[in-house]
Amino acid sequence: MISNFIPGLIMIITSFLLPTIPQYFRHPAMLLSVGLSALSLFNGYGTFLEWDILGLNLILYQSDSLTLPFAIIFHIAAVLVIIFSWHSKNLMEHMATLAYAGSAIGALHAGDFFSLFIWWEATALTSVFIVFAGNTNAAKDAAMRYLIIQVSSGVLLLIGTCLMLYQTGNHNLVVLDLKTNFGIFIFIAFGIKAAFPLLNGWLQDSYPESSVTGTVALSAFTTKLAIYALARTFPGTDSLIWIGAIMTAFPVFFAVIENDLRRVLSFSLNNQLGFMVVGIGIGTELSLNGTVAHAFVHIIYKALLFMSMGAVLYRAGTTKASELGGLYKYMPFTTIFCIIGAMSISAFPLFSGFVAKSLIMSSLGGMGMVLIYFILFFASAGVLEHSGIKIPYFAFFAHERKNKFKEAPINMLIAMGIAAFLCIAIGVFPKYLYQILPYTVDYQPYTLDHVISQLQLLVFAIIAFLFLVKFKLYPSEIRSTVLNSDWFYRKMLPGIGKPLFKKIGILTESLYKNLGLSFKQVLSKSYKFSNLSYIKVTTPSFAGTILISILFIMLVIVLV
Amino acid sequence: MKKNDLKSMGKSFTKYILIIGALLILLDFTFHRHEYFSFAEIYGFPAFFGFVSFVFIVMLGKWLRKFLMRKEDYYDQ
Repeated sequence: MISNFIPGLIMIITSFLLPTIPQYFRHPAMLLSVGLSALSLFNGYGTFLEWDILGLNLILYQSDSLTLPFAIIFHIAAVLVIIFSWHSKNLMEHMATLAYAGSAIGALHAGDFFSLFIWWEATALTSVFIVFAGNTNAAKDAAMRYLIIQVSSGVLLLIGTCLMLYQTGNHNLVVLDLKTNFGIFIFIAFGIKAAFPLLNGWLQDSYPESSVTGTVALSAFTTKLAIYALARTFPGTDSLIWIGAIMTAFPVFFAVIENDLRRVLSFSLNNQLGFMVVGIGIGTELSLNGTVAHAFVHIIYKALLFMSMGAVLYRAGTTKASELGGLYKYMPFTTIFCIIGAMSISAFPLFSGFVAKSLIMSSLGGMGMVLIYFILFFASAGVLEHSGIKIPYFAFFAHERKNKFKEAPINMLIAMGIAAFLCIAIGVFPKYLYQILPYTVDYQPYTLDHVISQLQLLVFAIIAFLFLVKFKLYPSEIRSTVLNSDWFYRKMLPGIGKPLFKKIGILTESLYKNLGLSFKQVLSKSYKFSNLSYIKVTTPSFAGTILISILFIMLVIVLV
Repeated sequence: MKKNDLKSMGKSFTKYILIIGALLILLDFTFHRHEYFSFAEIYGFPAFFGFVSFVFIVMLGKWLRKFLMRKEDYYDQ
């Protein structure tokens, strides 16, 4: 019976029951709920649950060959996160994590845009508590910004869905294009969560502010749900090829100069999403397989890298490269697991990244897209730079360290060990991954040409690193903030808005005076409004005002 | 543990990586490497591309610091 539940729902129900469960049984209960949810993976393909409400037919539970690989990896990610956070007693974070993972799994099985919207917002509302659980002022501010952006994405999705229903009478998840206005709304909604160029600020802003364990959970679901949604509704959309190519290349430069290693990983996450987006843009069976395979392996190695940095944060109290180094002596297992994650993301042969990325590169090569091919090839050297070398080098090596640290707790090592094992197992036996991809694969990643080509690229990029370090050309790590696209709503808009509101206040005041109006109350209110301390707008609420205004204007445009 | 563990590790790592690099280039002469684009079949092309890309990324990143880098408490000000 339970296997006919909407997958993920049991996890959400369990998350609400967690406060009633004693501390020692919470994690086993969480694992059990994931296990029960995973029973649905054996249900096969089809539509299992529909609901007619308000004249709409909602498809709440459907499954097909695109849903399955995402559902499998989301369940695996949930298990990894639960094991990794076994030592933690942060109830709010556990509840949020389990409900978040459940919502993301539920979203995968939605068969229409309204159902997707509900889950889309559910992932936003649950995950914001994970950011919030970072429990610093910076985390709380970041959580508010995160919420505004995520909910905005949902609102755009809802507008697009309503327009689609109004114009076509259909609201099922079907392939869309950018020639319709609803298609554009939905595209932007997905683009926000997939961290498209200039829409990516929320990712690097919020993920590194979360807790040791929270970032691992965040890294797995939201963006990959967006990739799934794009793959389902916009396969073969040409503009995605360029959007994806920009996503692979640009974050690389930001990652080079970023000091916080968890933020480096967030830029790296953005770059990895780019590869997947390119695959969706090409839209062939091979490239879509590549996107799904890449999302699958990416969730594992990215979680592994975030876990290793989480372990470092847990023991050393920071992930700032300028303050780390030399941890290999004290955290040898974490070091090895981190290196395995680094080699996987860098796509070394025999590691998982290689067997997945090859599918996308081959589809690009097969289509003769020379420029995009080499942008992605270039970005591969970039991946090696920031995730392959920078992360392990600055955290664990770089220089000797005198003060001692303990190795990560056993539960963290187990979670990292499982992820590391999967990275290698998938790399060595890719056929098991290929078997669950949406289309039948007849692809051999391990050809001599391909292996030698990739090894040459990677090994000589490492030699370049050694060369730069030897001649002291490699930039030293500096405590700093690197500007990103969130600057527009964190600095620029308040920079324009604050003086503007102040001027409006003064103008209103003088207007009242000149007109000789004696509404003392109005005057005093107006005076207060013009007072700088009154005008001091906090960033989140100000950004919210601007975003809501933009959404309102867009709505007006559509209605007109 | 010795004081210069990291230095000796770095040295032997450099040595092995250079040997592997040299072998990969030599291997390129022993067979015809098929690529999707003919110019990529030139001997050692991926190696050259990897080296140059890496240096370019680091150097451009370093230069971008001029425009993108702010104090750590920039957003708190």
